[in-house]
Amino acid sequence: MLHVKDLTAAIGDKQILKGLDLDVGAGEVHAIMGPNGSGKSTFAHTLAGREGYEITGTVTLDDADLLEMEPEARAAAGVFMGFQYPVEIPGVNNMYFLRTALNSVRRTRGETEVSAREFLSTAQEAMDLVEMPKDFLHRAVNAGFSGGEKKRNEILQMAVMQPRLAVLDETDSGLDIDALRIIAGGVNALRGPERSMIVITHYQRLLDYIKPDFVHVLVDGRIVESGDHTLALHLEDHGYADFVNHDLDASGRPLSGATS
Amino acid sequence: MSESLREIEELTEATYEYGFSTDLDTDIAPPGLTEDTVRLISAKKDEPEWLLEWRLKAYEAWKTMEEPDWAKLQIQPIDYQALSYWAAPKQKPVLDSLDDVDPDIRDMFDKLGIPLHEQKMLSNVAVDAIVDSVSVTTTFKETLAEAGVIFCSFSEAVHDHPEIVREHLGSVVPVRDNFFAALNSAVFSDGSFCYIPKGVRCPMELSTYFRINSQNTGQFERTLIIAEDDSHVSYLEGCTAPQRDENQLHAAVVELVAKDRSEIKYSTVQNWYPGDENGVGGIYNFVTKRGRAHTDAKISWTQVETGSAITWKYPSVILQGDRSVGEFYSVALSSKRQQADTGTKMIHIGADTTSSIISKGISAGHGQNTYRGLVKVMRSAENARNYTQCDSLLLGSDCGAHTIPYIEVKNPGAQVEHEASTSTVGEDQLYYCRQRGMSEEDAMAMIVNGFCRDVFDELPMEFAVEAQRLLSVSLEGSVG
Amino acid sequence: MNSTATAAAPELPTKRDEAWRYAPHADLAQLTFGPGGASAAVPAELEAQIPVFDGPRIVVVNGIVDPARSELATSITGLTLSTVADVLTTEPESLTRHFPTDAEPVDAFAAFNAQFGRDGAVIRVAAGATIDQPIHVVDLALPGAGHNTSSTGVVIEIGEGSEATIVETRLGHGTESGGANVRTTITLHDHATLEHIVVQDAPPAQISLSRVDVTQGANSTFRGRSFNLGASYGRVAHAVVLAGAGAHAELSGLYFGFGDQTLDQQVDIVHAAKDCSSRQLYRGVLDDSSTGIFSGGIDVQPGADGTDAEQENHNLLLSDRAEANTQPRLEILADDVACKHGATVGQLDETALYYMRSRGIPAAEARRLLINGFADQVVDHVSIDALRPWIIDRLGHADA
Repeated sequence: MLHVKDLTAAIGDKQILKGLDLDVGAGEVHAIMGPNGSGKSTFAHTLAGREGYEITGTVTLDDADLLEMEPEARAAAGVFMGFQYPVEIPGVNNMYFLRTALNSVRRTRGETEVSAREFLSTAQEAMDLVEMPKDFLHRAVNAGFSGGEKKRNEILQMAVMQPRLAVLDETDSGLDIDALRIIAGGVNALRGPERSMIVITHYQRLLDYIKPDFVHVLVDGRIVESGDHTLALHLEDHGYADFVNHDLDASGRPLSGATS
Repeated sequence: MSESLREIEELTEATYEYGFSTDLDTDIAPPGLTEDTVRLISAKKDEPEWLLEWRLKAYEAWKTMEEPDWAKLQIQPIDYQALSYWAAPKQKPVLDSLDDVDPDIRDMFDKLGIPLHEQKMLSNVAVDAIVDSVSVTTTFKETLAEAGVIFCSFSEAVHDHPEIVREHLGSVVPVRDNFFAALNSAVFSDGSFCYIPKGVRCPMELSTYFRINSQNTGQFERTLIIAEDDSHVSYLEGCTAPQRDENQLHAAVVELVAKDRSEIKYSTVQNWYPGDENGVGGIYNFVTKRGRAHTDAKISWTQVETGSAITWKYPSVILQGDRSVGEFYSVALSSKRQQADTGTKMIHIGADTTSSIISKGISAGHGQNTYRGLVKVMRSAENARNYTQCDSLLLGSDCGAHTIPYIEVKNPGAQVEHEASTSTVGEDQLYYCRQRGMSEEDAMAMIVNGFCRDVFDELPMEFAVEAQRLLSVSLEGSVG
Repeated sequence: MNSTATAAAPELPTKRDEAWRYAPHADLAQLTFGPGGASAAVPAELEAQIPVFDGPRIVVVNGIVDPARSELATSITGLTLSTVADVLTTEPESLTRHFPTDAEPVDAFAAFNAQFGRDGAVIRVAAGATIDQPIHVVDLALPGAGHNTSSTGVVIEIGEGSEATIVETRLGHGTESGGANVRTTITLHDHATLEHIVVQDAPPAQISLSRVDVTQGANSTFRGRSFNLGASYGRVAHAVVLAGAGAHAELSGLYFGFGDQTLDQQVDIVHAAKDCSSRQLYRGVLDDSSTGIFSGGIDVQPGADGTDAEQENHNLLLSDRAEANTQPRLEILADDVACKHGATVGQLDETALYYMRSRGIPAAEARRLLINGFADQVVDHVSIDALRPWIIDRLGHADA
């Protein structure tokens, strides 16, 4: 479904992604782990279409070339990005924001727009999913939200947008254990055979709740190791030290073995 | 950054949609201003002697006054002798029935989205339509009369209720108040008059739509609203003008008198022609608006200023009575070459008086936006409170935002707070919205509308929708 | 001293000049200006008021440097101290920023200063030097005996990468009207850091006018503190131009008025280069019939992207005859900026007073504690330990 081939990204002279390959099939959940500064967030933004990067390589979603598209066109194509730092938009209420987003996407796809009534019931389900309080819809987008509320709002938006590909960037950062449980519950409820997910995280903790089908280790702009969820457990025990500050052998694999 | 700057520039170069002019048969006085002009206007309107005297006094005062130069404005000199001070559609200005309204005028208002036909009228809004300073019709008169509310053109009020007009005219804005107020007092042509009797809650919104149609004319309306004890009224004002290459002068005076425990809510959506992107043409909007709030009374000004080449306007409240309340909510947008110098004055005289000011300035293109305000707490104003918040949004690198508040406090019991901020629409905000599927244009409009939310919330429903749309249109353009 | 006034006296500012809007124009018109007066005898009483701390000191009496009280010779490496009069003789071209020939004076008082302020202190710090001891310039005004208002110049130049602390204390004596008109010109080269403190406490009969012009190079830091504590009209004006990228200016001020004083602070910070930051924090305490004025401007010029500017002004009115006028101005002509300002006028927190009294603190003491707490937020910015108690001790005291 998603094919990433030889992807590079740079800001000015600084090369961040240095040839990243990844294939994500329908219904799969892939976790991408890596130390700080390895390029995890940059990878997420190249999928979502943030400006400011110089990019080479190819990224296709359902055979459509994502790199050629504006951010909003990617959203219409089914890409949803859960932001690590969700943005505050003062004065714009959540209900209005989300309905505008949903209808923009539907319009682009040639679908009919949802009425206020239909939208409310969709939104209500999504709110229940992430245990959002009733007044939520009338508050401004992320303005004055706690860290946990912002992250729950991202999952709520995902539930309403029903994306084809969800990219969750450090959705677990800054959460206490209860918020983590709620968010993971929301994400799991949204798993499905036609929906793929890329879960980007620094810690293995999130993966106790969201069991990935595949785990990839991203170091210095490349995926250096791939495996199943046991790879995450290995990282939990050994950290990233096995993968960084070591010379890589000719095949590009780390010297010290990791299970795969 | 630079790419989105370009986009913002494109966004802000939308065209003015009310720029058409209607070919009305108009009665225009020759240009120039002398004592004879003042006499001519008064005679045309068949005015009583006292009003002519009042006008002449104002004219004498005006001759001795100088144009203010303190506002932060780049202004072409105005030749007051080249303007015509009287223009009226050639038709009996006062009508008994809407069916009598000139069809051309009716069409013009239809084009503006203000239907004057009874069957299409906005429900629960009475409209006074003013073209080139002359009231052409007032709707819902009978319904209002049943409640005892007088809502008519200023000229009618002078004939039908001279004693009320005489008592209050110039009582809030004296003829010598400022250069433009003096000019208006000498040559004002028409305007709206509202009188809400004791204890009456006006059964509907009152609304005036101003339209400048003629060329080379100044527009000088005069509005007077009197709310007697324990009464309540909400008044709306909308303005448009045709697209013309020369600047046109609009110098209105609005006086509000809110007696004990009454409330006047005055909302304006000002969309005079702003001129083109090179600064050619557009209305010079130099307006004096002021209200006097008596004991326990409340005056609330809400304005959305998107039009005019130059806006010079400081709707003010004299908080005279104890516990009186003044409010000012403003959104001012300056794009193209527009200049807006606007704000408010809150003069606290009574004890326990409260004022709040929320100002949102948006600068785009080559627009210059200035908030200029005064909060003055007199020695007598025990326990006065003011809260002021001025936020500026800059869209592009060729525009400017200026915040110039004056705070003068002479009573130690006062609490005055002023906050201001300047920001731009964040790249991250635009990206976030676009990631959720919105076009850049929609995202921009949404964020800017969000910035103005606190003010739009103060507008009556129909106007809030209109204001949002206006703002989006003003920021609209072709995004590549 | 009409004999020394020039033929074409510059026109005094009026109410219509924004920067002089609330000034006592009639009183200002009474001042007369002329060359520095012959060094009058400094009374012991006044001498005793001068704050004392370690470091070189230059004393100016009625606009003329008093050699007996000054230590111009210094052993501190990188520091050169001289008098304006000497430098005007030896290398006048080095003072062109202070005595510009290509620009009109900003107002009449700057013009008088340029004309008559031919003596004062010149402080130069060479590149790469860190001056550990604060340098103290004391300006004493003793009107009377044919002398009315003195004009003094202070020229400060801090070399690239250097650091220094300079205090300017302005005091006066006597019941005669008159006063001081001091102009300071500061140049900070790239990466230089200066803490500059103006302490101004003239007797109630005198007028004290200070103007400080600062130009900052790239990545330099200016920390300006002003304490405007006394004078019938005390004015401290700062005009700071952030001319080099990455420069930082931090201005704080305390004005503490009583009696009939009018204490005026004028601040204008111009962001003329990219990525500069500025902070303004001014606090006023106004008792009796005093008037406090704060007019602070942030002026962001086109192209000054990355500007980060903040301004705060808070006023306490202690009497029902006191008055506070505040005007926090923002003028923004660039779009990549983060600017905010806030201003408040209020009175002592009644709840806090009540709370303290309920704990047994007498009302007057509680008031004093609250007022000092309010003022401390500015006083604490002063890095010279010996100066802080001196300032706190002077708050609300009339010395004559």
